[in-house]
Amino acid sequence: MCGIAGIMYKHGAEGFDTGAALIDMLDGCQHRGPDSTGYALYGESHEGQIKLRFFIGSGPEAEASVERVRAALAEHQARIIEDETIAENYRVVVDFKGDLQRFSYAMEHASKLISLGESLEIIKDVGGAHEVDERYHVKQYSGTHGLGHVRLATESEVKPEAAHPFWATGFSDVAIVHNGQITNYWKMRRRLERRGFEFTTDNDSELIAVYLADQMSNGVALRDALGTSIDDLDGTFSFLVSTKDEIGYAKDHLAVKPMIMYETDDLIAVASEEVSLNRLFPGQALDTYEPPPGSFNTWSRST
Amino acid sequence: MVTIDLAKITTREANEKIRDYGAKGEDVEVLNPDARHHIGVGLIHPIRVNVRGSAGYFCAGLSDGARFEVDNNVGWGLGDNMYTGSVVVGGNAGAIAGVAIRGAEVVVRGNMGSRAGQVMKAGTLACVGNANFMAGYMMYGGRIIIIGNSGEKLGEDMSGGEIYLGGSLQSLGTDAKVTDVDGAEIDDIRAFLDRYEIDFKGGFQKIVNAGKNLRYSTTEQQMRSIPFFSFSGSSDYWNPKIQEDIHIKSQIGRYRVRGYGGARELPHLSDLAFKRDVTHAAKVADPVSKVEMHTLIGGKNGANPLDLSMPVLIAPMSYGALSRSTKQAIGIASGLSDIAENTGEGGMSDAQRGAAKQLIFQCLGGRLGWNIHDMNRADGLEIYISQGAKPGFGGQLMAKKVTKELAEIRGIPAGIDLRSPSRHPDILGADDLVIKVEELREATGYRLPVSVKLGAGRIRDDIKIAVKDGFDCVELDGMQGSTGAGGAEIMEYVGIPTLSAIIEALDALDDINCRDKVEIVLMGGIRDGVDAVKALCLGADAVALGTSAIIAGGCIACMQCHVGTCVTGIATQDPEHEKRYKPEVEARNIHRYLEGVRWQIAALTHALGHDAVTSLNRDDLVALTPEAAAITRLPYAPEYRDNQLQKAG
Repeated sequence: MCGIAGIMYKHGAEGFDTGAALIDMLDGCQHRGPDSTGYALYGESHEGQIKLRFFIGSGPEAEASVERVRAALAEHQARIIEDETIAENYRVVVDFKGDLQRFSYAMEHASKLISLGESLEIIKDVGGAHEVDERYHVKQYSGTHGLGHVRLATESEVKPEAAHPFWATGFSDVAIVHNGQITNYWKMRRRLERRGFEFTTDNDSELIAVYLADQMSNGVALRDALGTSIDDLDGTFSFLVSTKDEIGYAKDHLAVKPMIMYETDDLIAVASEEVSLNRLFPGQALDTYEPPPGSFNTWSRST
Repeated sequence: MVTIDLAKITTREANEKIRDYGAKGEDVEVLNPDARHHIGVGLIHPIRVNVRGSAGYFCAGLSDGARFEVDNNVGWGLGDNMYTGSVVVGGNAGAIAGVAIRGAEVVVRGNMGSRAGQVMKAGTLACVGNANFMAGYMMYGGRIIIIGNSGEKLGEDMSGGEIYLGGSLQSLGTDAKVTDVDGAEIDDIRAFLDRYEIDFKGGFQKIVNAGKNLRYSTTEQQMRSIPFFSFSGSSDYWNPKIQEDIHIKSQIGRYRVRGYGGARELPHLSDLAFKRDVTHAAKVADPVSKVEMHTLIGGKNGANPLDLSMPVLIAPMSYGALSRSTKQAIGIASGLSDIAENTGEGGMSDAQRGAAKQLIFQCLGGRLGWNIHDMNRADGLEIYISQGAKPGFGGQLMAKKVTKELAEIRGIPAGIDLRSPSRHPDILGADDLVIKVEELREATGYRLPVSVKLGAGRIRDDIKIAVKDGFDCVELDGMQGSTGAGGAEIMEYVGIPTLSAIIEALDALDDINCRDKVEIVLMGGIRDGVDAVKALCLGADAVALGTSAIIAGGCIACMQCHVGTCVTGIATQDPEHEKRYKPEVEARNIHRYLEGVRWQIAALTHALGHDAVTSLNRDDLVALTPEAAAITRLPYAPEYRDNQLQKAG
């Protein structure tokens, strides 16, 4: 039960204020989810460099987590380029070449891994859009695109790791925000687990991310994966997905969960409610579009 | 024309101003709306409101008589429940445009989202562009004009009204058909389109209900009269109840629908006992004067609370399931005992409003009888999500009870087997519910407490959602609750016992440390003051009585509530049957019963050593059965079995 938001600046180099834009959009629909807020931000990337973010908690527990992560990195020949502790997160950039899926599962076992990617960083925690920004400085993030999410916990607990966005565990740079409920969750999850995939939560949004990332790793285009997701996933959903260069959406056949979008030559912005889009363009009457039931689409940035 | 700038003030302040200007007859222009929700809700004066930009959810909702114009787009629920007046949108509308309208004219110049016109009753919804999925879903009356193309499933489960389609038909919904259009209808549509300057010269297809699903194909025969106590009490394997059930199914070939509650033995409040010896309670003179019972419900978030002389309410029961005279008698009795009555589904009658001193007005998915004027004269508002007797299912009102008069107040076709929607058009998740609750508060100026009626299901999650969504009070209904008509198997086998419901609810509130954020009114098989005191000891803030109030007013528990020919004149809409019911006499009977409940609550509270009902607590109770002990975590103490007030009485 949530509000979602996504934005992509289609042209030009990195350097748009995606963090600030997402904060505004999520603040606009915070009523849909007062429990927690999260951001998936895509920034500058360098060949061969991987950014990782972990939940480490605080105090001695945090120090122990950082030690475990550092040891695991060393074990996998990942050389630390830079690292820092921000509030209850540990952020580290490493040089790594090798099997990314195996590497990420190992990191996940070392501590609670939030995101992994050349470009992607996920920031999420309990609290509102501005509170999370104050803790993790979301405003300073710039880039070409990103996703955001506000959450009202219905079935699972209110804790940082249950917040969205979800990273597709095991796959670099894939993130998802989702409003709705996948009712064939366990069936789909068992199918993927039998093929060796690991899940770090019982959240249905993680399943969507892994489902899409798996298809893409087999050479399926994101757009086509979104198309099959509408029939393979059962339930009510509106979700946004992003990769290093693309952003996309899918909406179930019953169109129970809201979604509205605004597109110009320069940007695409998607949200649960128009009020979020208007936060980016105060005082303007926007020519918005509500995607029909059972639809999907993708946009890519030109570099 | 006065100007209101939403960049400078909140929507709440803006709505207050709009209503003030409405009362003075001044037109209003709203600047910088920026797709904010609830603009203009609750306006009941015939002024013009121009919204310069886009509006959010429920624009012009719960209004009557005003003329709204929105320059750009609107979100979900455009013109929700609008009586008269009009709203014209220059751009697109989100889902459920024109939901539950009862006479208004709603015009969308762009496209409209899914389920447009859901549960509408009267008036016109017109769309110049294309409609999306399931336009006319469950509509009961009025007309929808779509100049562009339809989406899938046009007219899904419509039971009345007409849809006129200018463009192409993608697909028809269940029980909808295409029929001929006559010249007079076309003339009328043209006049409407001219009035709103919509230029369209093409022809129309007309879509109406096909009439296949409006009534059950076979009617259920009347049961033999097996009194409820023999129906429910026997443990014999092939008892009269089982035989009756088989006989009826052999005739109708489907599931059964009957009245009253489930008849299975379930853990209940009678499986608990008081820890202290209360047998002397009966001997205390005038216990009522010795115990503080005054109870406020619904004031935790700033609304005017219900002010009850004891922690008791009347449970929601509809005018429809019950006769007008019965609702009137219950209303009078509730007033005499100074507690609160509840409309249930199906609207508020003048007789009921006049009779009850404090009245909660219930909002259900079909929006049957729901409207701004009765909201304004209510003392509390309640969103029904489900009920304990049949959680997850909508109400059933058999054709015999859907008389012309009743159909009119509900805004539906007369003589159909009314199967009320099991879910709300605009509440498809906790996130939508937040916006709905806010709409009700905005429309009534934040005066009234807003409660939620929850049939016990996934209580631990649901109660947390209720708190997060800002409800003032939860009316929690367990499986032992009754109903005017429901599937027999559902009543027997679906639900959570009342005893488990209250424990899970309180555990959930403790989980999120919100025990004092919301009040819980427990219902579902509360029979008397003894049950009430046990519920209060467990942690309920009050209880609600339904079946027991009906019985006090003459019900003989024959379980034929669904048939519509109730011999006592209670569960009927037939004037011949209703004639037998004497509301003044039964009001006195119900009142005397309620006073008996008051005495029991006072006597027991006093006997347990307290001088206020708020002091009752878990330490006053033990469990008599292992099941009850497991559910409540009270000490298992079967030796207390004799320690009941009934014995003393």
